Amino acid sequence: MTLRRLLIANRGEIALRIVRAAKAKGVETVLAASAADRDSQAAIEADRTVVIGAAPARASYLNGDLLVHTALVTQCDAVHPGYGFLSERASFAEQCEKAGLTFVGPRAETIRLVGDKLAARALAKAAGVSMVSGSEKVDTVADALQIAEGIGYPVITKASAGGGGRGMVVANSAAELEAAFDNASHEAKEAFGDGTLYLERYVQRARHVEVQVVGDGNGNILHFGERDCSLQRRYQKMVEEAPAAILSDAVRSRLHQAAIDLLSPIKYRNAGTVEFLYDEADERFYFMEVNARIQVEHPVSEEICGIDLIQLQLDVASGAPLQLTQADIKPRGHAIEVRIIAENPLNGFMPSPGRITQWLEPQGEGVRVDTAMKTGVLVPPFYDSMIGKLIVRGADRGDALARLRAALDAFVIEGISTNLELLRAIVGHPNFVDNVIDTRWSERVLLPSYLSSKGK
Amino acid sequence: MNTVSPEDVQSLIQLFDGSDWGELHLQSTDFELHLSKDGAARRGFGGGAAQPTPAEAKSAAIVPTVSAPPVAATASASADIPEGMAVVRAPNLGTFYKSPKPGTPPYVEIGQHVEADTEICLIEVMKLFTPVTAGVAGIVRQALVNDAELVEFEQPLFVIEASSK
Repeated sequence: MTLRRLLIANRGEIALRIVRAAKAKGVETVLAASAADRDSQAAIEADRTVVIGAAPARASYLNGDLLVHTALVTQCDAVHPGYGFLSERASFAEQCEKAGLTFVGPRAETIRLVGDKLAARALAKAAGVSMVSGSEKVDTVADALQIAEGIGYPVITKASAGGGGRGMVVANSAAELEAAFDNASHEAKEAFGDGTLYLERYVQRARHVEVQVVGDGNGNILHFGERDCSLQRRYQKMVEEAPAAILSDAVRSRLHQAAIDLLSPIKYRNAGTVEFLYDEADERFYFMEVNARIQVEHPVSEEICGIDLIQLQLDVASGAPLQLTQADIKPRGHAIEVRIIAENPLNGFMPSPGRITQWLEPQGEGVRVDTAMKTGVLVPPFYDSMIGKLIVRGADRGDALARLRAALDAFVIEGISTNLELLRAIVGHPNFVDNVIDTRWSERVLLPSYLSSKGK
Repeated sequence: MNTVSPEDVQSLIQLFDGSDWGELHLQSTDFELHLSKDGAARRGFGGGAAQPTPAEAKSAAIVPTVSAPPVAATASASADIPEGMAVVRAPNLGTFYKSPKPGTPPYVEIGQHVEADTEICLIEVMKLFTPVTAGVAGIVRQALVNDAELVEFEQPLFVIEASSK
């Protein structure tokens, strides 16, 4: 079944990206916009724009009834949820299915399955993929030692009943675990009235790596290489790269295979990402979660693979067999994305909505900007403050970095505060250049020195 | 008749409103105006009537032969409202129904007096029907939307001449 008319149930750069991808495939577009987005770039470019509700997301982008009603009344046959909002809401996928609309995403049951922590862990276990933590509750020292042997040291004990550091002890060996276990349990009992502990693999310097896949719904899963998204602030990604330059080829292929083994048995359909925590010290990776949607950082994979993942999403949603084989996908070069955010890093990263009085984006070979912004546009205060993504591609990481530096220098945004200067500081930082960062590097190293250099 | 200003249209509407005529149809090469005192009388008129579009929403008052982009239509709809008139807008997107049930008389007729809490239409979203009240006491002067059409958030539905106290 070919898609004829697509409802886009999202906003900002991803809505625009979907409008353009659909048009490139000859699919008509209807944009469901909130009142705040009626003049957005996606609204201008869509074949039709329908204002579905007031600006707050719960009155518009989070209202499944309104979106399905709009899709039906405008004679759409499919709904693309983008990322965020209702993209991973199983009930919304189900609502679309029941209304006879093609949901450009996984089946509702798949969303439910991978969204359930225990079920997802069971998938990983069946696929033979290690996990970040042992989920089992640990009752005795003997049990703990046995489990820790399976997880591998160092391990950390955590209280089953609560967090905040109580009951948490890092053990580098069996002897340390044996010595610490009873104390940790006692501490947990004191704090929470329950001394039950569980064990997690303790990764001192963790990196976040993830595999981009597309599944056709019949058990065929293609991967589009991996990304390194270790540069985060409070678990929010700031910079994403493809490939993950720290991986050896042997680990890289095992990582890709792990993602495929996880999703193939459930006949995953849609673009998706399998996220792993990677321990550079012993070159082991641990399954974290599956993101059953297109992700913000998908462009870096597109850049190295030379494909359009949104168009592929539309293909598999329509039930078309995959035209590509794994052999057709040959990642080349290196791509880096930085997220442009309307926020003030010098004021606690406070969001800074407002009118953009000047927007001058970099252009040139290997430079891509995904955004719905331009001069004169108002950044509304109602939504996520990401206003664009700068993506560069180069022959290798060094080449991409040089391009990124030049592109960031050329980027001008006036009228609102942005994180552009912080991004310039990251790209110029020797740790980033040498690629010796981890998921806590920005809080531990970057921000203290950056903020103090600004007198904060 | 090369250019028609909003003032021209406003004058025409006022003249028409004060007359005994039920309908007025004016057409030139690049302009088409249809005025009616019955909101439902407009069916089949003008281009693109078979496919409801937001541009059609204000068509009971004015239908340009070149269909306007939906966004512009929504944004500019209020510009045609004469002074002293109140506009009842859609509280959310949905399908507009002028009657409580198919085949029953409409909630309100043109020229009818309504109170602020008088129900004047229904907006349906996924089989959930929400009544819309006039919000102001006065005389219903215009119905801007046809039965069973999609209306967008804040789209003008009715024009009511508020009664002076």
